Amino acid sequence: MPWPNSASFTESPMGLLFPGALAFFALTPLLVLAYLARERPRRVSVSSIMIFRSIGGRAGGRFGRPKLDWLFFVELLILSLAVLAMAGPFIIESSRQFAVVVDNSVAMQARMADGTVRFAVALDRINIELKEMNDGDHVTVYVTTPAPHPIAATFQSPGAARSAVDRLTATDAPADPAALAALLAQLASDTRLNNVIYAGAYPVTPPLPSRLRVYAFDAPVPNAALGSFTLRRDSFTATTLHGRVAVGNYGASPQTFTVMVSANGRTLAQQRLELQPDEVGAADFPNLPLEDTYRADLKPTDDLPVDNVAWATNAAVRSIAVLFVSPSPADANGLQSIPGIKVTARTPDAYTPDDLARADVAIFEYAVPKVMPTVNTLLVMPPPEDPIFDFVTSPASKTDVTSWRTTDPITDAVNFRLLNPRVGEFFGVHPWMQAVASGTDGALIIRGERQNHRFIATGFNLFPYLGRENLPMSILTLNMLSYLVGLGSNSAGYRTGQPWIVPAGTETIAMPSGRRVGVQSGTVFADVTETGLYQLIGDGGVTTLRAVNLDDLTASDLKNSPALKIEADESGGVAPTVTMEHKSLSGDILRVIVALALLEALVVYSRRRRVAVVRA
Amino acid sequence: MLGLPAEFNSDFLARLEQLRIKTRREYAGSGKGGHLSPRRGTSLEFNDFRHYTLGDDVRFIDWGLYGRTDKLYIKLFKEEEGLLSYIFLDASASMGLPDGDRKFELSVVLALALAYVALTSGDRVMVRVLGGEGKTADIGFVYGRHRIIDLARRLAAIRPSGSIDLAHALAGELVTIRRAGKVFVISDYLMAPDSISRGLGLFTAANMDVTAVQIVGGRELEGAGLSGDVEVVDSESGEVVRIAMGPRERERHRESLKRMSLDLRAFCLRNGLHYTLYDTATSFHEFFLRAVAELGLVH
Repeated sequence: MPWPNSASFTESPMGLLFPGALAFFALTPLLVLAYLARERPRRVSVSSIMIFRSIGGRAGGRFGRPKLDWLFFVELLILSLAVLAMAGPFIIESSRQFAVVVDNSVAMQARMADGTVRFAVALDRINIELKEMNDGDHVTVYVTTPAPHPIAATFQSPGAARSAVDRLTATDAPADPAALAALLAQLASDTRLNNVIYAGAYPVTPPLPSRLRVYAFDAPVPNAALGSFTLRRDSFTATTLHGRVAVGNYGASPQTFTVMVSANGRTLAQQRLELQPDEVGAADFPNLPLEDTYRADLKPTDDLPVDNVAWATNAAVRSIAVLFVSPSPADANGLQSIPGIKVTARTPDAYTPDDLARADVAIFEYAVPKVMPTVNTLLVMPPPEDPIFDFVTSPASKTDVTSWRTTDPITDAVNFRLLNPRVGEFFGVHPWMQAVASGTDGALIIRGERQNHRFIATGFNLFPYLGRENLPMSILTLNMLSYLVGLGSNSAGYRTGQPWIVPAGTETIAMPSGRRVGVQSGTVFADVTETGLYQLIGDGGVTTLRAVNLDDLTASDLKNSPALKIEADESGGVAPTVTMEHKSLSGDILRVIVALALLEALVVYSRRRRVAVVRA
Repeated sequence: MLGLPAEFNSDFLARLEQLRIKTRREYAGSGKGGHLSPRRGTSLEFNDFRHYTLGDDVRFIDWGLYGRTDKLYIKLFKEEEGLLSYIFLDASASMGLPDGDRKFELSVVLALALAYVALTSGDRVMVRVLGGEGKTADIGFVYGRHRIIDLARRLAAIRPSGSIDLAHALAGELVTIRRAGKVFVISDYLMAPDSISRGLGLFTAANMDVTAVQIVGGRELEGAGLSGDVEVVDSESGEVVRIAMGPRERERHRESLKRMSLDLRAFCLRNGLHYTLYDTATSFHEFFLRAVAELGLVH
């Protein structure tokens, strides 16, 4: 359908921002004089001018007649253009502004009942719309993942936008419906926009804003998906891993699925699972042998293959390296008795941040580091008011734990009534750490996350580790270590569309597609739009694998796509808007001036070189 | 060597001593010399008969003729006299340009070489400088090879300057000449053809044997130093001409100079004058020995 007013924008009036600058054209005689002075010929005494007369020499005065060298006219043109540029010439271009929102989320990878892929059909529709626009129309193209954003600056023609749209691909990341709705509402409210075209997996609740044209691909697609794929080691001494894979059935009928877990191309275990429509189940694999990476496959596959595969890594099964920094390093001796733990002790004076490069967990007893640690860290009775953590503490005369979070992994199975820490301190309110266990006058255990790392601080001393001799304290210590090294938690907990903080020491990230991206540690890596195994490559080629899955099962529910409710503010008018843009020509003129100046320089250089050769 | 220009090395001097000036006609000279004179004298060259009169030397009676005619005739012989040579050297400003061509210096060398040939042949030579500055009082004929040093010193003091009208200047010199002889006119001849023809024509009219020596600078011929837009200033008249010198103009300049030389040569040949062209880009020794005949010299 053609857009309204498509043939009425043919006027292109011109103007000058500073017409007064044209007075500089009076400089032209100066140029002529300068040219005469510069081009004044050399005077050479010769034996006789008879010969020169015979070959066309003309009698000349003091300055002579200006020779009409074409370079003179080039310079005259440069001067004229410079004056014109100063006058600020512009043309008024009438154009319409369009916004195109292409949903490139994982849901658009789904194959529809007619065998076509949602995303391909969406691009076709968008291209048809773009073809109906005028050449001078401006188009801004948005995509929805990992967050709604324009793919580039506004395209100055629908053709350029079409080229860009043709290069788009659907990602493995889910779209954020709320953010998408907000974007559409904002665009639909923008009075500068003539129209907004949206093509995506989410329908829009009527009534549609007048500027919005929607192509929704929300026809239900029966789909089954793998959700999270978690691995955990049940205990420090365990030699196998416990895997759990979530499975969702978003088909119309009950179905029996087979979940296979494999590693290095070898099937390790498989399990059958019968699920009702809209039911989510879990397949447990309690004895997975230790491997570097694991892959879970869902059979039978369906029209959205990307969520029929999930990945996990064995970050939990390595021997855990603990750096113990304390004025009394002997306190670390007891930790050595924990299977799978390797402890390196340092005094605070001997500690350097480089020591953290070889540690999974750092423990600072009566000390805090001078820079934020790049690994998960336990701070035992840290001194107050350090510049990094800025703890506020007060001495505790009575250190009984009176309250704790019952569902926290740190407090799990700890009998706090028997804990009985002897001396300690209470923590005041901390800006980013929350209390896990508290005494009568404040928190005794706090924890929080910073720069993608976990931190725990205790107001009493856990060490030395005495094992069975002090069971509550030992359980608490093991809980904390487990929390810090990620045991018992989702070790494959990275999802498409969710940015990470780049871990310390990482210089390059190789995506599952093979694309490599240079990164800086501590910065946000938002390009998490592919499922699979990411390689985090550090100094010297040290590589860490990170599994990223589409484990948000709501993205796999192609039967119940939520409708977007667009609340556009159309108080500014709904008529198609034509934008009159003052397009400055000064830049173009300056480019021409530079080109002409270069040409002149080239010619002058060439002439001088030729003269030098002749004189030689 | 002894104040002479560097070109006068012993080898060159030896070669010059083997040369003498040849004229196309006989001129009454001065004193005894090696050139036949129209005067009767005592040379071996027969000139005429006359009737014997009392007092005649009986050794010159042609006895053969007496036997055939029964009358006494006396054989008369030509006189051999020293030739009077005149060397006119153009010292106008044009002879000093362009710098580096050494037109005037080499003209002086040429004049001295010709003078030396004359002096070593026992002839008398007069060197006159037309124009220029630094001249001392003109001296008349010089005689004897030792006078070459004096000539060289006098010529070395002269710098080319000013302008001359060749016809006018030569006419002025001709007034002072009492006897005809050999004339060398050394100049670049970069002047109006009319002035040249009138000037040289005066000498031919005065029954002189004239050799015109044109000296052209090598750089001048190539138009060196002239490129792009230039204002060329006439060294003598001060007139200014603007011209854009490119490769094509340089070629035309060279062709014009050559054409002028050819015109001058044609004029000389037509009027019975010797003509030779010296391009200063070539070696002086090479030129001089090659141009011996053109200069009017013989071994």
